[in-house]
Amino acid sequence: MKLNIKIFIFFCISVLVFLESAHAHNVTEGDAGYIQEIWGVHVVPFTYLGAKHMVTGYDHILFLFGVIFFLYKFKDIAIYVSIFAFGHSTTMLLGVIYGWGANAYIVDAIIGLSVVYKALDNLGAYQRWFGFQPNTKLATLIFGFIHGTGLATKILDYKIAEDGLLINLLSFNVGVEIGQIIALVVILILMGFWRRLPNFMQHAYSANVIMMFLGFILMGLQITGYFVNI
Amino acid sequence: MLNAQKPDLTQLPSSYQLIRSTIIAAISAIIILITIILPAEYAIDPTGIGRVLGLTEMGEIKKELSEEAEADRKLDQEKKEKINDTKNNQSNLFHHIFNFLSISANAQEHITKQDNIELIIKPKASAEWKLVMLKGQQVQYEIQAEGGKINYDLHGHGSGNSQTYEKGRGSKSSKGEFVAAFDGEHGWFFRNRDKSDIKVTIKVSGNYNKIKK
Repeated sequence: MKLNIKIFIFFCISVLVFLESAHAHNVTEGDAGYIQEIWGVHVVPFTYLGAKHMVTGYDHILFLFGVIFFLYKFKDIAIYVSIFAFGHSTTMLLGVIYGWGANAYIVDAIIGLSVVYKALDNLGAYQRWFGFQPNTKLATLIFGFIHGTGLATKILDYKIAEDGLLINLLSFNVGVEIGQIIALVVILILMGFWRRLPNFMQHAYSANVIMMFLGFILMGLQITGYFVNI
Repeated sequence: MLNAQKPDLTQLPSSYQLIRSTIIAAISAIIILITIILPAEYAIDPTGIGRVLGLTEMGEIKKELSEEAEADRKLDQEKKEKINDTKNNQSNLFHHIFNFLSISANAQEHITKQDNIELIIKPKASAEWKLVMLKGQQVQYEIQAEGGKINYDLHGHGSGNSQTYEKGRGSKSSKGEFVAAFDGEHGWFFRNRDKSDIKVTIKVSGNYNKIKK
């Protein structure tokens, strides 16, 4: 009796093995797939990936857009962008090196919140509601830390090889800054045209409300993602 | 009330400056697109700059991975169709009986087996080497690469499951054991991303039914 069951099981397996003919492996595609195929120092490819991440990362771009919305002088733009860059570089590098993998959905929801915060700041809501202006440089720094944690979480997902990790990571960071400058140049050119319009200040109000709306959408998307993918 | 001053026209760039900037931006974009982005994304590299920078390699690997994934999806599809065909086709019974005989013959010996195998893998090429195992069977292994560093994916698939046990890249050797998580084929997918031929030696010992190459 027992033997019969065994034979029956083997029969079933043989059918299955026959049906499940050669299958390659579980392929990871895209940038992550590429990274998982390589090891050692690859300066240019990682710089490229960092820049790509920034330019295609609408959450970072939205925040950056909010930060420079009312900055007209080159010097001010340079100061705020440097503060943001310092913030996100710090947590990105430390996060990857020490493996601080925060939950991507929560971090991205806070990044959405940073967009909302900055839009309200631009609208002058804090002065109206609370009668004072929170330090804008400090806020840029703190949200820079949060954006960096988000970057670190995504890089950890890439599973970069140990071999060449530090140099590759620094290259990625340099790429992020290059991507930020590219995004900034495009934003500043477009805003240059816009700011010259006589009714820029009327547009500015609506633009910041739209930005806030997009920030809320990002938050909603990420919070839902957190509960759906738990 | 906005948290800002209305911009003073003297602080803003002039129309002429803005148009010049737009033209410069568009030209730079085209240059970057051709020399950097197209090589890195699609392995299209008309200038050869992407190759020098190592970006064309990225494009080639991504293209290759997406082709492999596509082939896998097709295979899955065919498999499903095959199952449907089998249900309607009695002549396949012959295959089943054949498989049944060969597997049950192998299954008789539940003793520890041992095998040694060598594979030569050329640069950019891949190879697969599998064991047919039942759920719970355990194998100890040792793999070694000579002549270069190898990427591998130790995984199993069968009975509708698939699982990766261990992954490695730029590896010279690896040692360990794994327990089949389900009935099916379990083994290695190797890929040579190095520059020279690699000889991979695999030593396995444990419980398994047969080797499938």
